Amino acid sequence: MASSSSFITEVFRIGPLTITNTVVVTWGIMLVLTAAAWAATRHLGLSPGRWQVMVEGIVAAIEEAIRAVLPDHYRQVMPFIATLWIFIVVANLVSLIPGLRSPTGDLSLTAGLAILVFLAVHWYGIRSHGLKSYLRHYLQPNPILLPFHLISEITRTVALAVRLFGNIFSLQMAALLVLLVAGFLAPVPVLMLHIIEALVQAYIFGMLTLIYVAGAIQSQQLKHNQKKE
Amino acid sequence: MEFDGTTFALEIINFLVLVWLLQHFLYKPVTTIIAQRQAGIEKALADAQATRSEADAIKRQYENRAAEWGQEKARASQQMQQEIAAERSRLMTALQASLDEERNKLRAVEQRRAAEQRQRLEAAARAEGGRFAACLLSRLASAELEERIRRLLLDELPQLPEQQMQVLRSAGQAEEVKITSAYALDEAQRAGLVAALDRLAQKPVACTFEQDPELMAGLRLSLGPWMLRASLLDELKFFAEADHAGTKR
Repeated sequence: MASSSSFITEVFRIGPLTITNTVVVTWGIMLVLTAAAWAATRHLGLSPGRWQVMVEGIVAAIEEAIRAVLPDHYRQVMPFIATLWIFIVVANLVSLIPGLRSPTGDLSLTAGLAILVFLAVHWYGIRSHGLKSYLRHYLQPNPILLPFHLISEITRTVALAVRLFGNIFSLQMAALLVLLVAGFLAPVPVLMLHIIEALVQAYIFGMLTLIYVAGAIQSQQLKHNQKKE
Repeated sequence: MEFDGTTFALEIINFLVLVWLLQHFLYKPVTTIIAQRQAGIEKALADAQATRSEADAIKRQYENRAAEWGQEKARASQQMQQEIAAERSRLMTALQASLDEERNKLRAVEQRRAAEQRQRLEAAARAEGGRFAACLLSRLASAELEERIRRLLLDELPQLPEQQMQVLRSAGQAEEVKITSAYALDEAQRAGLVAALDRLAQKPVACTFEQDPELMAGLRLSLGPWMLRASLLDELKFFAEADHAGTKR
């Protein structure tokens, strides 16, 4: 782990836009994931091979996890949630490759993902119940709770961004410090912890997103069902 | 911990592009192939279920058909047994009738054979009796016996049947009555016979006399086809030719 790769650096500029190593690594991840997806699904057949079984297993597991939370809308939210999981896992683990830095250790990226989650929650909520019906849930059970709802929307978005950024950044810093203090092989246990932490943080981010989206969709749905009954 | 607006905006765009790329290259193909496989499995299960249902239906159909065949077989067997019993009864009746007819035929043949045998025995007995009587009478024959036979003839001539009397009476003048005797007749005996014949014919009758020892004893009168026998030889012939006791001379 070179010290230069552990921090956000400018790679090049396009006019007024500054392209950092976070964006470049993200593009690399996107390229690798797209190429892997294309290679994995190029020769899909009804009699699957080992590689197809593994890919189908991953997709089916993600789909099943989403279906467990949102049984009626899992197809609708699956691309977004699944991409969050896959991208964050790969982005968290990419720092294990020497010379690369996890883009999730950049607050700009985690904030962007958190903003996307914030927008997606409202997008799915409005898409499911309409704008008025969706906005009405901020006034329930009592309009006096509206400020708290608004504060909750902001804080949970900020928490998403900061939680992922803080954990990954701190892990990278801890690994760098241990490497500097202890020597060549000492950071290995820390790197193993990094793997676990990367998977856990990806899972937490995706699952929280799923719960937020499900809350937006099902809060109005439950009220509709109660009215029908 | 620095925030860069360009990175923030680019990462949002990057992520949305990645969502589209993975949706296009990963989720959609994989979920499609899983759905196709699931549909294929469900179709195979449905086909198997349909095949099983069809097989069950065919099995039930064949079981019903086998049961019907069994019942039909039992009915046919029972009917065949009845027909066999009826045919056996009919054949037994016909056989019994045939046996009775054959038995009656055999009985009739046996009776006919017995009658013929009895007739042959009777004929043989009569022939034997005739030979025995001829042998005996040939030794007993004599002129005296002939005389007695002649007197007996004269006594019985008036008792001849009217038909025979008409033969005598209708005889012409030229016809003669031939009188044959075993022994020579004297004039008195001849005159007595002629007189008796004249009375019987109620007219004079011409007579000629002959001697034939074969007669053993007695007389034989003949006029054309008419003949009156009163000799031992003729009696023995009557005895031998008579088939029953009812036969008359």
